Amino acid sequence: MEDNLSDIVVGLMMAVFGLIGLFLVAGAADAEMYVFGLALSAFAVCFDFGLIRRYYDRQDVARAAVREHTHV
Amino acid sequence: MSDGVLAARPVIYNDAVVKKFVIATMFWGIVAFLVGVYIAAELAWPSLNLGLSFTNFGRLRPVHTSAAIFAFGGSALLGTSMYVVQRTCRARLFGGDALADFVFWGYQFFIVMAALSYVMGFSQSKEYAEPEWHIDIWLTIVWVAYLLVFLGTIMKRTEPHIYVANWFYLAFIVTIAMLHIVNNAALPISLYSAKSYSAYSGVQDALVQWWYGHNAVGFFLTAGFLGMMYYFIPKAAGRPVYSYRLSIVHFWTLIFLYIWAGPHHLHWTALPDWTQTLGMAFSIMLWMPSWGGMINGIMTLSGAWDKLRTDPGLRFSVTAVGFYGMSTFEGPVMSVREVNALSHYTDWTIGHVHSGALGWVAFITFGAMYYLVPVLWGRKALYSTRLASWHYWISTLGIVLYIVSMWVAGIMEGLMWRAYDKFGFLQYSFVESVVAVHPFFVIRMLGGVFFLLGGLIMVYNLIRTVTSPTTELPRQGLAAPALAANLGVAGA
Repeated sequence: MEDNLSDIVVGLMMAVFGLIGLFLVAGAADAEMYVFGLALSAFAVCFDFGLIRRYYDRQDVARAAVREHTHV
Repeated sequence: MSDGVLAARPVIYNDAVVKKFVIATMFWGIVAFLVGVYIAAELAWPSLNLGLSFTNFGRLRPVHTSAAIFAFGGSALLGTSMYVVQRTCRARLFGGDALADFVFWGYQFFIVMAALSYVMGFSQSKEYAEPEWHIDIWLTIVWVAYLLVFLGTIMKRTEPHIYVANWFYLAFIVTIAMLHIVNNAALPISLYSAKSYSAYSGVQDALVQWWYGHNAVGFFLTAGFLGMMYYFIPKAAGRPVYSYRLSIVHFWTLIFLYIWAGPHHLHWTALPDWTQTLGMAFSIMLWMPSWGGMINGIMTLSGAWDKLRTDPGLRFSVTAVGFYGMSTFEGPVMSVREVNALSHYTDWTIGHVHSGALGWVAFITFGAMYYLVPVLWGRKALYSTRLASWHYWISTLGIVLYIVSMWVAGIMEGLMWRAYDKFGFLQYSFVESVVAVHPFFVIRMLGGVFFLLGGLIMVYNLIRTVTSPTTELPRQGLAAPALAANLGVAGA
């Protein structure tokens, strides 16, 4: 339960950071801000994909545990 | 619920994030030592900057300091604090795995972005606070998430008592947040530009910077690592803390006194005299709590001194406490205005910083890593205690070479700069003092090479500890120490 809620809150937060990163890239007045914005949006995408992957990993583990428990 | 029932209920800890921090600690440690050696070589042979802007000393120096303090030290602190708070509170980390992962990856992102910005030539020009405003805001977000994880875990603890290590870790987290926000208050020239101007100017700016700078030493490099000491030395020695009362007294005195000591960095400047004297007086008073911590750490070994012969990890930890005592003696001496007149702007300061950074911070971290890796990865012992001993002696020799050469160079510089002849003219030009210290710069670099070599030996040893079949636990032995430490069962 705590993990699911945490996934949603952190996932949404990262999505917002990713968008902010894109805005920074779009308006960047110097190389540093361009690199930072690009890296922030890439980081946000990777992090959110990681969250999605871990969610399905947990589901797989739970399903495997149920199968093992019910298999005679 | 009775204590007996609590003790029997296992808690599955989040060790995945701790493992990531352990790996990051070792990786950034090597990066920090390597860049340190390179810039030390640049100081001895300036042409090694290759004539490139990216590799000049001014840009690489903050890469070295940030890699050492924030990347190596910070990863060690965040990782060990998450390990310690779970076990001493007998509770899994608050906020779920996603929040803990955000703290880990967000912190690594901060480190990489900061290093990249230095190499690209962007800096606030504030020592230990070089990142520009956008990176500072990112760190603030990550730090608040870290505070949530740590404090939330303490609040949901199933142990009634908050162990003293957590007090030190919490002081580190809260105070660093305050210092970071206040010192980095700045106005960017545009939301789309990395350039910003500090909210402070003139001597106020300098005072705020050194209030931050000295307390980065006091709360990042001291309080946090004392938290590490208070958990890992008793665990490795198998002994309780020598005096719990002393730990509480020295905690509160350290917290109260450190925050006032910053002005000693600005002796003989435009800062008002009374402020300089205040900083000096509080620095001298810091002897008491600093040595209180040192005595408590060393005396915890009462009855277990023999373990120093067989446990190189513990040897690192105890030597670290020795270096802590030495550098916290030296610091107040250097804060005395008359001594500072000689030492300031010289390499004596660099030697002092490194006796703390290498001797205290790095050694206490190495001790914790040697303890943690077998426990976290479920191995029966280190791959090689012999290699760990080699690491210990090579690194110790490196530190000795480093700090002795810097003492000699620094005092020589101070004396040369103040020497004048019978006509009242300065006896030496600045470049003569540079030529005079050249051999000591080479010795310093050699000390760094030794330290780097020791670090590489540690990394090899710890990788082999995780991967070698010789360190695997026997199947029936799985219920013993490693498992007990990874589940929240009594005594772990």
